[in-house]
Amino acid sequence: MTSGDLLELLFGAYRRKVLAFLLLRPEGSFHVREIARLTGVPVGSLHRELKSLADVGLLAREPVGNQVRYRANRAHQIYAELAGIFAKTAGLADVLRDALMPLVGRMELAFVFGSLAQGKQRTLSDVDVFMIGDVAFADVVKALSATQARLGREVNPVVMTRREVRAKLKAGDRFVARVAREPKIFLMGSEDDFRKLFKDRAA
Amino acid sequence: MTLENFLRTGQLKPHESDAKEVRRLLDAARRNLRDSAATNISPENRFDAAYKAVMQSALVALMANGFIPDKKQPGHHAVAIQALPKAIGIAADRVAVLDVLRRKRNLSDYTGEDIDERSVDECRAEAKRLLDEVGAWLKKNHPELAG
Repeated sequence: MTSGDLLELLFGAYRRKVLAFLLLRPEGSFHVREIARLTGVPVGSLHRELKSLADVGLLAREPVGNQVRYRANRAHQIYAELAGIFAKTAGLADVLRDALMPLVGRMELAFVFGSLAQGKQRTLSDVDVFMIGDVAFADVVKALSATQARLGREVNPVVMTRREVRAKLKAGDRFVARVAREPKIFLMGSEDDFRKLFKDRAA
Repeated sequence: MTLENFLRTGQLKPHESDAKEVRRLLDAARRNLRDSAATNISPENRFDAAYKAVMQSALVALMANGFIPDKKQPGHHAVAIQALPKAIGIAADRVAVLDVLRRKRNLSDYTGEDIDERSVDECRAEAKRLLDEVGAWLKKNHPELAG
């Protein structure tokens, strides 16, 4: 069973999305329409989810003017455990994406590869993250350093420029060819953007 | 953590070094660094050679401070890296990079994970930098060991 399946077993689809969104952004409070837009949960169902979760105290309701905003209730007795479950499973991509934000201008593509992306990871597998762009290895390590505590596992970064990836693909490099073949969880950019690296001649 | 704290946890042991021992290790580190440039071996072995140069340089830094990692303790490579700021004053973000390289080498050794050439280049650059830093630090602080 992959960690994604595990979360599906434990929580319904809407609840999972709402909790993943709010628990992994503990600093933020959000209006219902904002949450709906960012999670894709329909507004009607979202109202019900938010109310149930706020009734048991997992979420805090904050009236701001004539709006109500919701945020994760960090004072709840199971907040840390629940947030941990999401960080280690479905929320993993979000945690990594947040951590990589400072590098956004210098990076074209980022994705998780290896055992985790294939759903084969054991609990303590490293998270393999591939980044394509003009960014120094040391900057990547720095950006990712705080995620290790949040995820409860180590991140193994691989950093290459677009030119390096293209040259390796062309030369049939074993490692890059394997990564290209295998499933990926995209953090920045998409599978299409990745495919373009093979075609697009103007690098 | 101070070096004395590592001593208390048993991760470091007291050690008295001499110029001969230091020279032998630094020569080995230079040799490993040179080997890591070879193009007729796999990236994994090039990485391994560069990583060895990192570890040997770190060992010299600790030995010159009067310590050595206890090789019977798990994680003695991690200790050698984490002790570097206290040993020769390198910055904490460098330790984070060296630690990532250490884990890459672990993954490669124990799970057969591939190592990409960019990581080889990073490891070689870090090895060269640390070797130079340890050399300069020795000259300044322990000229008797620098030989």
